[in-house]
Amino acid sequence: MVSSTPAIEIRGLSKRYGAITAVNDVDLTIESGQVYALLGPNGAGKTTLVEILEGYRQRDAGEVSVLGMDPAGGSLAFRSRIGIVQQEQGSVDLFTARELVRAWAAAYPNPMDPEAVLELVGLSEHADRRGATFSGGQKRRLDLALGVVGNPDLLFLDEPTTGFDAAARRQSWDVVRGLNEQGRTILLTTHYLDEAEALADRIGIIAQGRLIIEGTIWDLRRELNAATRISWRPADDGSFDSDGLPGDWERSDSGRLSLSTQQPTRVLSQLLAWAEARAIDELPELWVRSPSLEDMYLELVGELDDSKPRDGAAR
Amino acid sequence: MSAAAPPETRPSSALAVQDSLRRTLRLAGVQLQLNLKTVLREPQALFFLVAFPVLFLIIFGAVFTWDVDEASGVQGRQYVAAGILASAMFGTSFMNLAISIVSQRDDGWLKRLGGSPLPKMSYFMAQIGSAFVITVAQTIVMVALGIAAFGFQTPDPGQWLTLIWVLLMGIASGCAMGIAITRIIPSVRAAPAVVNLPYILLQFFSGIFFPFHSLPEVLQYIASVFPLRWLAQGLRSVFLPDEFKYVEVGQSWDLHWVAAALGIWIVIGLALAVRTFKWNRSG
Repeated sequence: MVSSTPAIEIRGLSKRYGAITAVNDVDLTIESGQVYALLGPNGAGKTTLVEILEGYRQRDAGEVSVLGMDPAGGSLAFRSRIGIVQQEQGSVDLFTARELVRAWAAAYPNPMDPEAVLELVGLSEHADRRGATFSGGQKRRLDLALGVVGNPDLLFLDEPTTGFDAAARRQSWDVVRGLNEQGRTILLTTHYLDEAEALADRIGIIAQGRLIIEGTIWDLRRELNAATRISWRPADDGSFDSDGLPGDWERSDSGRLSLSTQQPTRVLSQLLAWAEARAIDELPELWVRSPSLEDMYLELVGELDDSKPRDGAAR
Repeated sequence: MSAAAPPETRPSSALAVQDSLRRTLRLAGVQLQLNLKTVLREPQALFFLVAFPVLFLIIFGAVFTWDVDEASGVQGRQYVAAGILASAMFGTSFMNLAISIVSQRDDGWLKRLGGSPLPKMSYFMAQIGSAFVITVAQTIVMVALGIAAFGFQTPDPGQWLTLIWVLLMGIASGCAMGIAITRIIPSVRAAPAVVNLPYILLQFFSGIFFPFHSLPEVLQYIASVFPLRWLAQGLRSVFLPDEFKYVEVGQSWDLHWVAAALGIWIVIGLALAVRTFKWNRSG
């Protein structure tokens, strides 16, 4: 299914606004058929980067190929093969869902069946109601319907589940997975790290206009050198004696012992050997936790915020 | 079902016809339907667009009681009624359209449209189409009122024909200029200020509220560069007695000049619109 030509290929992409470098020398390849999640704090250059790929903005430098075409021209051929779902795209209040989905389908050379799209996003039952009566989530699903009705090879999704409740998010994720299973490449921007983890084959984190890290979730964990946290609580009957316990354990006020390590297997086997030697069958309240993507992300972005001002401003 | 088909199976020939005129017209029709639905579903806008010039007509008609020209017996209220009709046509197309496009641009609707393979020209045509529908509604009400109460002559068949082409060309030129001017309007907040200046100035220079032939020559020259003067003159040829043409600046209705001036502005406006129009706020 995955063809050899990447869906998106970017080399040395830069975009400036006056003294601000919004996108700074970004290289990125997104393979066909993948779900790619782009993360980054607000103002990091995410939107500018994506809008260059969508053909809304012009780049200052670099090479960009999207579906083998240069998006800068914004040609009709290009736009008929992409789908865009952004935030705040005008009021749908005066139109019914069906009217809009049909009107949008008309613009594409090979659209999906509008009824099938309404079904896909779960708006079939509300298809003849006007947008004004829709909840925020229903409006967002209508946005998605208008983005996919053109049967795109490449779909841009900008924060597709912002403001959704947990159940609605899961439903949306299923829709996105279904669209991906049909062979569509999806470029997703999101603030929700669990969303990126749940949906994306690869993840890129952009901050201060640069793509600072990129890869699968496991690549990210490796590159960020994420430590695994191991923790347990010795019985508080006074029998605990830390003599011979290997490792540098921190003791909290509640008596819990924790440590972070790059070698969880080795630490665990030493811990278990120590317990066995003391005839402790069960280490109370033991847990071993990999850092969540969110932990890693906040750590990474936090470090950058403390560093010097963005290089564009210095020039 | 096409939804299940992998995108790779798309016939490439479907893209080959994408720029065809037929497609542009078909999509203009689709967009026009959406525009007309907004007019019907928010009829208040239409009501006020029609009521506004009618009120002008009643107020100015009551004030302008003198004769503009004794020889032909044309009265101030007749003259000003033709002018207000022209001004309403131009206002709806130029000012109203520019403001509505900027508001669609500001709230992101244009960006959404622009993300689909909708040709700009289809969008322009749909906007012109809905301005046309609104203006026809205005015109019907005002012509009926003009004939009933403001001394408009009932046009003969040739004049009806003149009315139709003057109306069409007037709306098209106003719309083309309205779309073109959106490029220099930074936001919907600034839109009324930006479009009102040319609109109000042109009204005073173009013989809407004052007889054109009595204006200083320099103002006449300036106004003659723009479409509103010609639009008003074309409408006077329809609704005023034929002898009045000797009072016009060229001692004639100069309908060929009306057609030429409006035609040139349609071409200039559309050329500017196509070249400068942006779906989104910043590039």
